[in-house]
Amino acid sequence: MRKLIRSYTFRTVVQGLITIWAVMTFTFFLIRLMPGNPAQIKIDEYVDRYGMSEDQARQQVATLFNYDPDQPVFEQYVDYLSDLVRFDLGRSLTSTETPVAEQILRFLPWTLFSVGLALLVAFSLGVLVGLAMAYWRGGLLDNVMTVFASVIYAIPDYIIALLLIMVAGVQLKLIPVGELYGGSTQGIEPGFTVEYILDLLKHAFLPVFTYVLATIGGWMLTMKSSTISTLGEDYITVARARGLPERRLLTAYVGRNAMLPLMTRLAISIGFVVGGSAIIETLFLYPGLGRNLVLAIGLRDYTTMQGIFLVIAISVVVSNILADLLYGWLDPRVRLGGDKGTE
Amino acid sequence: MADGSVVLSVEDISITYTTQRGIVQAVSNVSFDLHAGETLALIGESGCGKSTIVLGLIGLLPKTGKITTGKVTYRRRDGRLIDVLGLNKEQMRQFLWNECSMVFQGALNSLNPVLKISSMIYDTARAHGMRADEAKKRALSLFEKVRLDPLRVFNSYPHELSGGMRQRVLLATALLLRPQVVIMDEPTTAVDILTQRSIIKVLKQLREELNFSVIFISHDLAVAAEIADTVATMYAGEIIEKGPVSEVFYRPRHAYTLGLLEAAPRLSTGAEELMSIPGSPPDLIDPPKGCKFHMRCRFVTDECKTTKPPLQASSPT
Amino acid sequence: MSTAQRAPLVELKHVDRFFRKGNATLKVLQDINLNVYPNEILCLVGESGCGKTTTGKIIAGLLNHSGGEVNVQGRPLASYSDRREKAHLRRTFQIVHQDPFASLNPSHTIAKILSFPLLRHKMVKNRTELAARLLELLELVDLTPPQDILNKYPHQLSGGQRQRVSIARALTVQPKLIVADEAVSMVDVSIRIGILKMLLRLKEELDIAIVFITHDLALAKYFAWQGRIAVMYLGRIVEIGRTPDVIGNPAHPYTRALLAAVPEADPDVTRAKEEMPLRSEDIPGLLNIPHGCAFHPRCPFFVPGLCDAEVPKLAVARGFNQEAACAPLELGLPLTTYAG
Ligand SMILES: Nc1ncnc2c1ncn2[C@@H]1O[C@H](COP(=O)(O)OP(=O)(O)O)[C@@H](O)[C@H]1O
Ligand SMILES: Nc1ncnc2c1ncn2[C@@H]1O[C@H](COP(=O)(O)OP(=O)(O)O)[C@@H](O)[C@H]1O
Ligand SMILES: [Mg+2]
Ligand SMILES: [Mg+2]
Repeated sequence: MRKLIRSYTFRTVVQGLITIWAVMTFTFFLIRLMPGNPAQIKIDEYVDRYGMSEDQARQQVATLFNYDPDQPVFEQYVDYLSDLVRFDLGRSLTSTETPVAEQILRFLPWTLFSVGLALLVAFSLGVLVGLAMAYWRGGLLDNVMTVFASVIYAIPDYIIALLLIMVAGVQLKLIPVGELYGGSTQGIEPGFTVEYILDLLKHAFLPVFTYVLATIGGWMLTMKSSTISTLGEDYITVARARGLPERRLLTAYVGRNAMLPLMTRLAISIGFVVGGSAIIETLFLYPGLGRNLVLAIGLRDYTTMQGIFLVIAISVVVSNILADLLYGWLDPRVRLGGDKGTE
Repeated sequence: MADGSVVLSVEDISITYTTQRGIVQAVSNVSFDLHAGETLALIGESGCGKSTIVLGLIGLLPKTGKITTGKVTYRRRDGRLIDVLGLNKEQMRQFLWNECSMVFQGALNSLNPVLKISSMIYDTARAHGMRADEAKKRALSLFEKVRLDPLRVFNSYPHELSGGMRQRVLLATALLLRPQVVIMDEPTTAVDILTQRSIIKVLKQLREELNFSVIFISHDLAVAAEIADTVATMYAGEIIEKGPVSEVFYRPRHAYTLGLLEAAPRLSTGAEELMSIPGSPPDLIDPPKGCKFHMRCRFVTDECKTTKPPLQASSPT
Repeated sequence: MSTAQRAPLVELKHVDRFFRKGNATLKVLQDINLNVYPNEILCLVGESGCGKTTTGKIIAGLLNHSGGEVNVQGRPLASYSDRREKAHLRRTFQIVHQDPFASLNPSHTIAKILSFPLLRHKMVKNRTELAARLLELLELVDLTPPQDILNKYPHQLSGGQRQRVSIARALTVQPKLIVADEAVSMVDVSIRIGILKMLLRLKEELDIAIVFITHDLALAKYFAWQGRIAVMYLGRIVEIGRTPDVIGNPAHPYTRALLAAVPEADPDVTRAKEEMPLRSEDIPGLLNIPHGCAFHPRCPFFVPGLCDAEVPKLAVARGFNQEAACAPLELGLPLTTYAG
């Protein structure tokens, strides 16, 4: 038993659970501190839009909602927790009767697909280019790419998105931005058909391109500096002296060691894939979790927001654990039970 | 290269580094012959150009370094002469380790931390067309010779080995492809006394069994006294004295060598009077005229300040 | 050798020092008994990781001990409670590190580096006194002419000069004891001896004690010929005594092994040296220190049942003048090669 408690896996899992619980509790109370509540927002809407009287609207909303704003917050919290341990995320407050879990499952794939694809592209491309920049340091590629990466790194993603829409879409008419809104074109039957997959890629292009542009500069620059310091290591010179071909040198000796410091960063990025980017998805009307979160925040849809935050927290924690495992796999020095050296 | 027993002949080599402050004359007109089975110790204080010479020999100078003059000739086992500085990149890659291998100072950093010792061996073998099973067999027998537990070490990661073990792994790896020349750059600096002893012992044994030539670089006179056949003293980028070990140690002819010997503490003597050499080595960007040692030399004459003395054969007197 | 009659500056009694490493405890020092007398030279030698620096820091008051007692100038360290006394203690003991590059602030001139402690500890009254003291300090460490050095930055000096500045800085506060931790290890051979000679001269002129830490036995022998040597192995002192005794007639097998392993700058002597083969070449880690005498798994004179039973105490064995911690030696057994 003691051994279990002291074991690395056990400690990691417990730590993860505590983190998730803490984030969940924090967001639970935080979102209730926002001005307004879902019922009030709906009432205001009815009053504004349909010209109902305050009382009428209140009655209307009461029939729609199973949310009682007067219930003490702590009681709500206990209810929520007790549902949660039964893996019940509750129902959406605004589109009643839709379980939050179902909603999340509906939007999550879009985000996973677009942000995941972007991360994959940005990371692999960034690492490769960064490696090349450091290897041919001072060359044309290095000079051009350093400027490019520094500039692109400094621009926030939503500016890139706006620039894409304004310049490439509206001004130059290079990209039919209007056609590309949404996740897929209406009318095309979902399925494993070439047509549908191409359509998916087409619609994902703008957000993915934006994400890639927004993050690739960072990957390139960190990889470059990490590679430069790795190239200065003794074992690289020694491997050269052993007459290893440059290709082997560049992959197993330079590349692998230079990538180690990027792993923590990668883990954090993977964790945030699930959350997506609320602003980008909103700008491109992409039906992902981020956009859904923005909508939920606007409507003060507490349960949906909680559900999404919970999923984000879980994914960050899980990806951190995965990163540890990955790091251990890449760097034998941190593998458990190592360190037999005496010096 | 008339003498058939010379495996490596260095003639009049000079190397510079370009830096922001100016051009560093790191090595000036150095010549020496390395005979088959001979151990040549290059001794001198840090910064005198020892590492630069060998990096130049094996084409691994940093980009800022440049060989300005000189010729390096290597005699292969089949008698063919190779102009080492004239090799192209691929030829040099094949020359390295097959003919001439190297052991570097930092044993702790000389091994790729993410690869097992076995991968390092296989990589080296593959780069030179040696079959994997043969490489493994040879590595295991070499590990045995350097008194390591062969299989355990073969399957270890570098961090699982102590500094002394790593240095012995590097020594064994240097002999993997049966080179004629092994260059060792301060292989026993930064290791402990007992580890140093075991490395020296292993090196002596291997040299006897496998009969390779060694260029042994050290700032430690004692280690050179222990294993060298020939000693070359370097000062400010030049070889200022060269000769058989007993000549150089017992009848030093250059004031700098004498100064080094007088500054080296010994255990076997009782109370001893040591002397240090006044001043410090010259700036190699703007080296002094004449003999580069003249400002620190107690035997200095006016001639020393203007005329560079030639290296004369140190013959028994 | 009148030093031994004076009361010790620092007394370590059964001093332990542990460090935590994850869940394990590193026993870096165990049961260290050591006195440092005024104006003496005490050399700590041993391989890296044996605890020399840790001992030096405890002597200099820069590190707390985990167990045992430390007495400073006859009083327990803990009894120095008020701030003035503590500050005074800190001034009495100084440490000079191996790497003068790391210990001298690169953005300050030498004058500033040296003035700082002088002003802080109010060792000078006014500017003229400060200027005079700076010149005096630089002359003490043979940095002449001192005016040339004062306005330079550390990187404009050679390694040897930098180390002299570190020593001058230690001297600003008129210490009674200087711990020199590998102080000349990074300095070139030809310059080393000059610095050591200067330290010896300062010791006489200024009546200071020097704890000299090194891994180089030949250097230790040269520097501490008039003083004492303590040989450490895996956190314990295994032999201690006057230098000519320890070097000329080593008692503990570990000391013998070390001395046999050191090469000499004399081809005939070094090649004729009799080697002492050890039973194992691996140094055990501090996490699993062998039971009994920590050296027993490597010792060629291992006596089963004796050496691995209890930790041997330091004692003077027959035929020796120095203390050594070796059970067979203390029992007067002949040291014969273990054949098991
Ligand atoms: N990459 C470099 N760039 C500029 N100068 C260098 C470089 N490497 C070495 N030097 C200079 O060349 C001289 C010889 O250095 P080195 O060959 O490393 O000496 P040693 O091995 O004898 O200590 C020194 O003065 C050193 O400062
Ligand atoms: N602050 C510390 N935390 C953990 N371990 C330490 C610390 N300081 C020293 N050690 C360990 O104590 C041992 C002895 O260190 P040290 O006194 O520096 O030895 P030496 O100076 O003889 O080389 C080493 O194994 C070192 O890793
Ligand atoms: Mg060097
Ligand atoms: Mg130390």
